[in-house]
Amino acid sequence: MTEKEKFFEEFNNGLHRIGRITLILGTLLLIAIPFIIGAINGVMPDLGGFAAGLAKVGVIYIPVAIVEFLVYSPMLGVGGSYLSFITGNVTNMKIPCVMNATDIAGTKAGTPEHEIISTISVATSAIVTMLVIVAGVILLVPLQPILQQEALTPAFNNVVPALFGALGLKYFAKSPKIAAIPLLLMSLLCVFVPAMIKETSILLIPSGGLALLIGFVLYKKDKL
Amino acid sequence: MKEYLSAVNSGTFYAIVACVLVFITVMCIVFCVKSYKAGIRLGMDKKVLKKTITSSATFTLLPSISILLGVIALSGTLGVPLSWLRLSVIGALQYELNVAEIAAQSFGLSGLNVSEMNMTAFVTIALVMTVGILGGIICCIFFLKKYTKKLNAAPKKEKTGENKKPGFGAHATTAMFVGLCAAYIGSYIGKLTPGGGSDAMPLIVAGIAAACMAVFEFLIQKKKILVLENFSLAASMLIAMAAAVVINTVM
Repeated sequence: MTEKEKFFEEFNNGLHRIGRITLILGTLLLIAIPFIIGAINGVMPDLGGFAAGLAKVGVIYIPVAIVEFLVYSPMLGVGGSYLSFITGNVTNMKIPCVMNATDIAGTKAGTPEHEIISTISVATSAIVTMLVIVAGVILLVPLQPILQQEALTPAFNNVVPALFGALGLKYFAKSPKIAAIPLLLMSLLCVFVPAMIKETSILLIPSGGLALLIGFVLYKKDKL
Repeated sequence: MKEYLSAVNSGTFYAIVACVLVFITVMCIVFCVKSYKAGIRLGMDKKVLKKTITSSATFTLLPSISILLGVIALSGTLGVPLSWLRLSVIGALQYELNVAEIAAQSFGLSGLNVSEMNMTAFVTIALVMTVGILGGIICCIFFLKKYTKKLNAAPKKEKTGENKKPGFGAHATTAMFVGLCAAYIGSYIGKLTPGGGSDAMPLIVAGIAAACMAVFEFLIQKKKILVLENFSLAASMLIAMAAAVVINTVM
């Protein structure tokens, strides 16, 4: 092992140590917040609601998290991974940012130089995002009385339809062959069994499973 | 509703969120400084390292503003501090809203509806949003060291042939999101029926957001105005939400 390799291994071990400690502390802080806010207001999270919600969320997002970890961490390197997974916006911001920085620097994946560039890039990106959002939040505070007007309630009550309308167009246009059957079946189900409308969180599971199955069959037949 | 909104926008909550974000910012600075020094030690050009910082900062600026628009979209229901926290750490707008909706329904609400919210629902939703997204972090804490060692030890595979079919993984995430959107859009169609409450607003709002997104996609794909990629989702949502206010006033 050359001196350079030895130094880099020690450096990476150091990042693993700090990364693990800070991620554990960060996670504990994040989990503590709902309890602290609850305690201040004299309430606690409803454990039944929490367990039911987490089970439904887990079915969708645990596989996504594992796939993202396996696919993105080799691109991000050690330091970049620890920072990206705690600061979020991995797919839409950190990965493109790292690809841009490593392109400019001309480093090759798997080299120490690539990992250094990747970590600096993710750290800078995360800090800039924090600063922009802080500036925005400071500007938002005086707007609170306006945002809390009753007249704006329909806007905030329809934030989820707005999200899925926009996202739906994007994903349905990308994969119309996958989308057709789940969309038709879910619409028919909600029209003929209106009780299911309030159970969208349960509908996500068969709908997602069906879309995955159709996608897999089309993939196997080379029709995607 | 006023009481709820003032509780979720309290000064104490801002202070707590600020403390957590300072902790994570310090973590970023430590990693950046350590990597910069290591780069120098490895003989990398200082100019390249500085260029990485400036190019990453400029690259991030526009998408960060779109995240800020997401904070505005979330803040009406969950308050500014939680929206600020959730969109600064771990998550992304799509995840946060979807999980908040699932958590609200699991708690017994009809959905993420500000008129129905109370503090117990709020802290429950916040906890589901926090714990539900920890998968990536848990993988990092327990498996990143082993995984990177394994990757470094594995012989680099040469790409064999240009026609090698890519795996199903890339399509799987798209399929999963298609299913997710299908379930929500289906429920908005169901709401049109008398049994569903004859409520056309969610479908109208979704339709307006989709139309805006279609315009953005046209400008991005056909007119090559790539800078719009950063704003298409948040801007489509905000336009559709504004339309909901107008429609509600008119009707």
